[in-house]
Amino acid sequence: MAGKNNKKIKQKKIMQKNTNPWLEAFRRLIKSRIGVAGLTVIFLLLLVAVFAPVLAPYDPLKTNIMARYKAPSSEHLLGTDGMGRDILSRIIFGSRISLQVGLISVSLALIFGVGFGLVAGFYGGKVDMIIMRLMDIMLAFPSILLAIAIVAILGPQLKNAMLAIGIINIPRFARIIRSSVLSIKESEYISAARALGAGDMRILFKHILPNAMAPLIVQTTLSIATAILEAAALSFLGLGAQPPSPEWGAMLSDARSSLQKAPWVATFPGLAIIFGVLGFNLLGDGLRDALDPKMKNV
Amino acid sequence: MKKTRIFVFFVILIVFMASLSVSVLAQVVEKGGTLVFGRGGDSVGLDPIQVTDGESFKVTQQIYDTLVDYKPGTTEVIPALATDWDISDDGLRWTFHLRENVEFHDGNPFNAEAVKWNFDRWRLEDHPYHIGGEFTYYGYMFQGFPGIIDEVNVIDEYTVEFILTEKQAPFLNNLAMVPFGISSPEAVKKWGEDYFKHPVGTGAYKFVEWNQGDRVIVEANENYWRERAYLDKIVFRSIPDNAARFMELQAGTIDMMDGLSPEDVDAVKDSSELKLTLRPSMNVGYLAMNFKFEPFDDVRVRRAFNHAINKEALIGAFYSGLGEPAKNPMPPSIWGYNDDIEPYEYNLEKAKKLLDEAGYEDGFEFDLWYLPVPRPYIPQGKFIGQAIQSYLSEINVKANLVTYDWSTYLDKTEHQEAPTYMLGWTGDNGDPDNFLYVLLDKTNSNNAYESEELHEVLIEAQKTMDREKRIELYRKAQKIIHRDAPWVPLVHSTPPLALKSNINNFIPNPTGTEKLHRVWLDK
Repeated sequence: MAGKNNKKIKQKKIMQKNTNPWLEAFRRLIKSRIGVAGLTVIFLLLLVAVFAPVLAPYDPLKTNIMARYKAPSSEHLLGTDGMGRDILSRIIFGSRISLQVGLISVSLALIFGVGFGLVAGFYGGKVDMIIMRLMDIMLAFPSILLAIAIVAILGPQLKNAMLAIGIINIPRFARIIRSSVLSIKESEYISAARALGAGDMRILFKHILPNAMAPLIVQTTLSIATAILEAAALSFLGLGAQPPSPEWGAMLSDARSSLQKAPWVATFPGLAIIFGVLGFNLLGDGLRDALDPKMKNV
Repeated sequence: MKKTRIFVFFVILIVFMASLSVSVLAQVVEKGGTLVFGRGGDSVGLDPIQVTDGESFKVTQQIYDTLVDYKPGTTEVIPALATDWDISDDGLRWTFHLRENVEFHDGNPFNAEAVKWNFDRWRLEDHPYHIGGEFTYYGYMFQGFPGIIDEVNVIDEYTVEFILTEKQAPFLNNLAMVPFGISSPEAVKKWGEDYFKHPVGTGAYKFVEWNQGDRVIVEANENYWRERAYLDKIVFRSIPDNAARFMELQAGTIDMMDGLSPEDVDAVKDSSELKLTLRPSMNVGYLAMNFKFEPFDDVRVRRAFNHAINKEALIGAFYSGLGEPAKNPMPPSIWGYNDDIEPYEYNLEKAKKLLDEAGYEDGFEFDLWYLPVPRPYIPQGKFIGQAIQSYLSEINVKANLVTYDWSTYLDKTEHQEAPTYMLGWTGDNGDPDNFLYVLLDKTNSNNAYESEELHEVLIEAQKTMDREKRIELYRKAQKIIHRDAPWVPLVHSTPPLALKSNINNFIPNPTGTEKLHRVWLDK
């Protein structure tokens, strides 16, 4: 048994020599069911978002107050809402908003979080102290409350909601990066690079950052899921997307008054949110497994 | 044989008649029981002079009486704590004869001294008990402190005299308003700043308990000067969400509710356990355009907006048809309504032409503020805002929908920060002054509409005692307003309420709140 295992490991090692580690991770990802499921959902979501004008049967903003609260039928597959708009078309166009919110706000968090984390971890001392305490303070607030406060100051608009969600996600990225940097910067190859005369910038971006990438990717994916959820929550509270924008959370909020009369108005946007968030969460889990060096042989 | 048949027939007939009359007798009032009234918010305070919100008046109206009152379901003035009154020829001296043998809930007697004490407390800023708030409604109705009430004199124990500095035509209607309920002076002295939590009046119900944010409980006053209230107790519960309140009604945990969403009207009609009651319409919901913001300083743009919105369709869709399109800022239920005004009809061609003339053929973009909370006059602000947005898009005008939380919204509109905004008004006393002067006079308007011409007419109407002359003046005022088009008047709604079918004799007032002492329950 033991001999056989050793052989396998040797074979893997030989293979690895010739392959890009990212390719290898991707290979592992598509071997895992969770990962594939996540990828499929996200792929579908992207497809819907890109081809929204082609797929949507109606204009998502076209109101018709003579056709309010029509139950699902062959004419309107998912029914109509309180303004007589086609719910299917709105959900299709809403996917654009949700993806946009997810990507933009997380990119924002990623850029600033990584920047802060790198600087704090690499330079240590007072800089580290100041940056990380600031991050701790932000983490001490319930994140949605902080987002509400930010939007309240900036005014209720989708772009402000995105900004707020970006800001509340900064500390998580900063923490992850910092802890990676702390261990990586003690590595011999960093000392070697320094001995060869590499500057701080080169060491940070050429040596440290690439080696801290794996947890970052996982965190990014999972954060997109929470960002979509947070945007929906803000819009539900009237602080995010403003009418008539077909944002899923805003659609849910509009449906509240007609829960008894027209349950489909709330049901379908709710399902859309679940679907989107689930996709990114599954992908995140799949990626975590795929990128974990300890899981290489699984 | 035949005789027996006839006999049997008569017996059956008699039994039938008897049972009928028994069932008629059963319709006689049944006393006792508790009513749970579900409403959209808590009272702000229970000292009526210190509050301005309907949720407070809903409760204080049970606890207090006013000198004069409105006949249930109308704004016709009837005697209450004052049995009759005389007016001097110059209209400046009002003498009220008070009801005798009336007691406050704390056992103190109601008399001319008590009336004087209350009015002095309200109007004199140096009165030791002019504390606990702003006395807002006194300032509104009587033009500041001490305002037009110059003197209040005790003639004898049950006669009190008011001396006014100038004539005020709606004086009696103003006195009937809920905020002018008479408090027990001893109770105000006892509680001071905290009196708003310990109300004592002469009303049909005595205050029992106020659990802030949740409920107010009142119980029948055994010594009421009218017949004792039929109910033993009323519980006013605050359930802010309309849908949640309606679910409680369906579940039977509350007995009645106001603020019924038009979306739920059909469900009430279909239910055998519930019945629908309509409040007589005395309100207006409108879209105001602020003269301080371009291009709303141009009357052609304002008229174009008036032509671009289909009010009938809005009422059909968002009010369950319970309302009528507005052409004037005051409702037809109020005397002086000018029905000769030709409304700006829904006509996109005319709207576009007006915009062209004003130089906006390519349209423009602006912020449209929509109501964040359901109100009786605009129950679904967000939907109606979106509908208006889509109407305006037909004339190439792009409206960006904006809103704030309710108190911020009111505050900002009051400070003229909104370019266009939806708002409304429910009348307090049935007088045209209470709409036109309060909403559109240059001293009060929130949209920088400052017409000198209108101001003169409205002030003259306030000082004219003759009803016919006042009608003429208000008709003229409505003409001026129609010409200047400071608003798009949208609707005069008929607010729906839902009651359990065992509730009898609930008569909703057009003013938005009513006394509940004649309400009774089938057991």
